[in-house]
Amino acid sequence: MSMQEDHTGGSTEKLVAEAKEALRYRHPSRIQKVGDHMRREWQLYLLLAPTIIWLLVFLYTPMYGLQIAFKDYSIFRGVANSPWIGLEHFHTLFGSDQFIRALKNTIYISLLSLAFGFPVPILLALMFNEVLNQTFKKTAQTIVYLPHFISSVIIAGIVITAFSPSAGIVNTILEWFGVDPIYFLTKAEWFRPIFVGTTIWQEAGFQSIVYLAAIAGVSPTLYESAVVDGASRWQMMWKITVPSIMPTIIIMLIIRIGNMLEVSFEMIILLYQPATYSTADVVNTFIYRQGLQGGQYDLAAAAGLFNAVVAFVLVMTANTVSKRYSRTSLW
Amino acid sequence: MSGVQLKGIVKTYGAVEVVHGIDLDVAEKEFVVLVGPSGCGKSTTLRMIAGLEEISGGELTIDGRIMNRTAPKDRDVAMVFQNYALYPHLNVADNIAFGLKIRKESKEHIASAVKEVSGILGLTDYLERRPADLSGGQRQRVAMGRAIVRRPKVFLFDEPLSNLDAKLRTQMRAEIKRLHKRLGVTSIYVTHDQVEAMTLADKIVVMHDGRIEQIGTPMELFLNPANAFVAGFLGAPPMNQIKATIAAGDTGPVAMFGDQTLALAPLADLQNAVGREVIVGVRPEYAAIVTENQPGAVRCGLELVETLGSEALLHMTLGDAPFVIRTETLGNLDRLNAVNGFTVAPELIKIFDGKTGLALSGQTRAA
Repeated sequence: MSMQEDHTGGSTEKLVAEAKEALRYRHPSRIQKVGDHMRREWQLYLLLAPTIIWLLVFLYTPMYGLQIAFKDYSIFRGVANSPWIGLEHFHTLFGSDQFIRALKNTIYISLLSLAFGFPVPILLALMFNEVLNQTFKKTAQTIVYLPHFISSVIIAGIVITAFSPSAGIVNTILEWFGVDPIYFLTKAEWFRPIFVGTTIWQEAGFQSIVYLAAIAGVSPTLYESAVVDGASRWQMMWKITVPSIMPTIIIMLIIRIGNMLEVSFEMIILLYQPATYSTADVVNTFIYRQGLQGGQYDLAAAAGLFNAVVAFVLVMTANTVSKRYSRTSLW
Repeated sequence: MSGVQLKGIVKTYGAVEVVHGIDLDVAEKEFVVLVGPSGCGKSTTLRMIAGLEEISGGELTIDGRIMNRTAPKDRDVAMVFQNYALYPHLNVADNIAFGLKIRKESKEHIASAVKEVSGILGLTDYLERRPADLSGGQRQRVAMGRAIVRRPKVFLFDEPLSNLDAKLRTQMRAEIKRLHKRLGVTSIYVTHDQVEAMTLADKIVVMHDGRIEQIGTPMELFLNPANAFVAGFLGAPPMNQIKATIAAGDTGPVAMFGDQTLALAPLADLQNAVGREVIVGVRPEYAAIVTENQPGAVRCGLELVETLGSEALLHMTLGDAPFVIRTETLGNLDRLNAVNGFTVAPELIKIFDGKTGLALSGQTRAA
């Protein structure tokens, strides 16, 4: 009897183990699938590791500190021991004229950058694509890519010099037409056009590379077919090139909308001055002044968190809208 | 003169000449197929006719007008591309209408033309779909619709069926043939598939290394190939080619290879060629199988039998050279496994010069 029990018991256990193993193979869990994939493609995961470590150390770990947006933070008490104060910092922010002004400026400058800055790289790429002389094309491309590789400090220096009322080229030209020198960088109404123009000059060329790559991916037979059908170069550009790169344009637009509130902080810091705060001060410069210069880390963290939440909502909305209407989306 | 004429057409890329002075007359309403192996210059020739490649030398005439420097849009040709060249962002109707819209035709005309063409090609139910939502055969039909809708003087096809699977290719081949009969438009069709060439063409142009090897009807080329290349290119499986020497036999000329002989037709040209090195061409379907020692039969070893149902391909070895026989199975594979040689009627054998590959004259057979 005991023999039989042993036999039966042992056999059942074995059968259950075999069944579990078979189940594992037939219906592997997501973790098992990832594990199998990692074992098989470990070289790829190794290549991915530095980026993941970087993300964890510099982007995810600091998120622990986000809680100070809801605390009365003191550097002596530390993040964990500072007392919770709920949404008080947010009340302070939205009650502050400076923050509201910064928020309005951010939105205004972002919309201007989007309206004027977003189409320029696309137009540049389309123009480069139409240039047949290779020497001219390469020279022109180098010239427009160059500002991207120059430090923002130098770019700001060039802009300040160019708009200088005494020796700047802009005022010199204006003088030829009998216009009195204008103190561009001290006048609030001139800050936005100068800032938007500068960022376009600095980045449009480099950003056009993405569109040039997309254009390079369009099948040449589409153009050949259109040529036989009788399309002009202009018609081919608008009826083939632009629609073909539209998915890329939409993806870039979604990314751009997600980064809308992240206006070029460095350039603003370098170009603005108290006289132009009314039009130049944005959320990021506000955070910089409150947090780093004023020592109000908790208030600055609240402003930063607000910025991030708005960006998240914007990118989600843009992606959903794009997915629904153009079949193109980031995810 | 209507149709398409090519006189001494040359194409060079820098110092390299890839098409060496082609002469070709395509009559109005004719279906001409340019066929040849990859790199023979057939697509380049077609693209020169379309205006997509500059003509380096010679003269191209379409419908009586010299077109060398005429823009593609003014040549009144329409082209169907190998990869369909459909605009992925446009639906079927807009793809078909593209050429008409570019030419600023009226909306009413465009709508009626698209309706008519989609009816002809069986695309009426798919007009709102985008190319990505269509099967390979449907995409090919849309590409043809785009060409047809403009009612051009000449259709140019650049390997239009090579992206389709075998079954669909056969189906679309028949559709193209039907379409040509219905529309009667001059067509020039490029392919490397000799079956497509044989089935579609009114006239086949065999090209090799940038030159035309032979022009003729499918049966003319099949029965009377001008040289060993054409003989080897047309027909599936291709013609067997054996190196041999012509000798005088008891009853007429014979081809000698190794210790074996094969009786040839008693033609004057062959009788006068005794001692000449030649290539003996035997089509696989003309060789009759032999299972026992038979006088006049060529002995060879059986290597492999490929059965195709009613027919079989026997892969034999003749000396060191391969030799293929196509024969009926008659449901008896044992008989095929016992094959040890073949005979062939002397008048069905083609003889080509051993050095130049050109067919020796006097062997012509009526199509």
